[in-house]
Amino acid sequence: MTNGEKIDLLEEMLELKSGTISENTALAEISVWDSMAALSLIALCDEHFGIQLTGEDIVKFRTVKDILDIMVG
Amino acid sequence: MINPMDLTGKSILVTGASSGIGRAAAVKLSRLGAKVILTARDQERLGITLSQLNGEGHAYYSYDLKRIEGIEEFLSKIVADNGILNGFVHSAGVSEMKPLKMSKFNSLHDLMLTNFYSFAELIRCISKKSSSADGSSFIGVSSVSSIKGNKSQSAYSASKSAMDGIIRPIAKELSARRIRINTVLFGMIGTEMFNEFLKKGGDISAWKDQYMGIGDPEDAANVIAFLLSDASKLITGTGLIADCGYLS
Repeated sequence: MTNGEKIDLLEEMLELKSGTISENTALAEISVWDSMAALSLIALCDEHFGIQLTGEDIVKFRTVKDILDIMVG
Repeated sequence: MINPMDLTGKSILVTGASSGIGRAAAVKLSRLGAKVILTARDQERLGITLSQLNGEGHAYYSYDLKRIEGIEEFLSKIVADNGILNGFVHSAGVSEMKPLKMSKFNSLHDLMLTNFYSFAELIRCISKKSSSADGSSFIGVSSVSSIKGNKSQSAYSASKSAMDGIIRPIAKELSARRIRINTVLFGMIGTEMFNEFLKKGGDISAWKDQYMGIGDPEDAANVIAFLLSDASKLITGTGLIADCGYLS
């Protein structure tokens, strides 16, 4: 999956218009990035990549790219 | 001195017996004299539970309760090996935190298989005369989530409400044989599931209303033992709340 496709997944999950976020977007700048979004990300990574993320993993993420980097498999 | 929670001579099946409330209940029931039949997926962890039991004659069976269609045959084997049952505790259950928009049919169905459909099928099979004695007691481990929602727990809450709902008509159907069936709506209990909840980023502040603190699994086991014993003969078709004050 390309980074563009992963961003599409994140935008769909966050219900953001296409093109709203990029690799360099800081998570703190995304208005809808909150604890529920973090839980959604856990579910998304499990469903699409078979990855079991934890809350501890997520608090370390600073930018969209940090998320894209773990979306493998 | 009499012990109103004495379970001597009773044969009790416990699902989800490899951890948490199920394991604590199995240990407690054995100390009260019951012969306990353990089941869960993980054979190794079942063996650990077995090693903690008091007395002799207990047994364990590894089975994945999501295989609903195989439950009837599985139960027949248990009864053939151990004789008919006097009690059943459904502690098998999974919890997940998924916001509504991520809670698709497949994941909802998957959770319902373990938490609810297996319970319904086990009750259907166990309630036959050939599988359980008159006067038996059946218990489903439910949760306060059945009646009070927290964000991202729609599937879990629905599965527990389903358990609480199905026992009421069943209690009436089984009353002719003096069989009782209840659920226990536990608050947060300090089990592996609770640790998992915290690890996955669960919001502990949602549980601040549980003003008597996080429950001890052994105290949860006492509630189950009570409902299995003749001390609770007046109680059937209900969801007993054991929530350290959470709902009050």
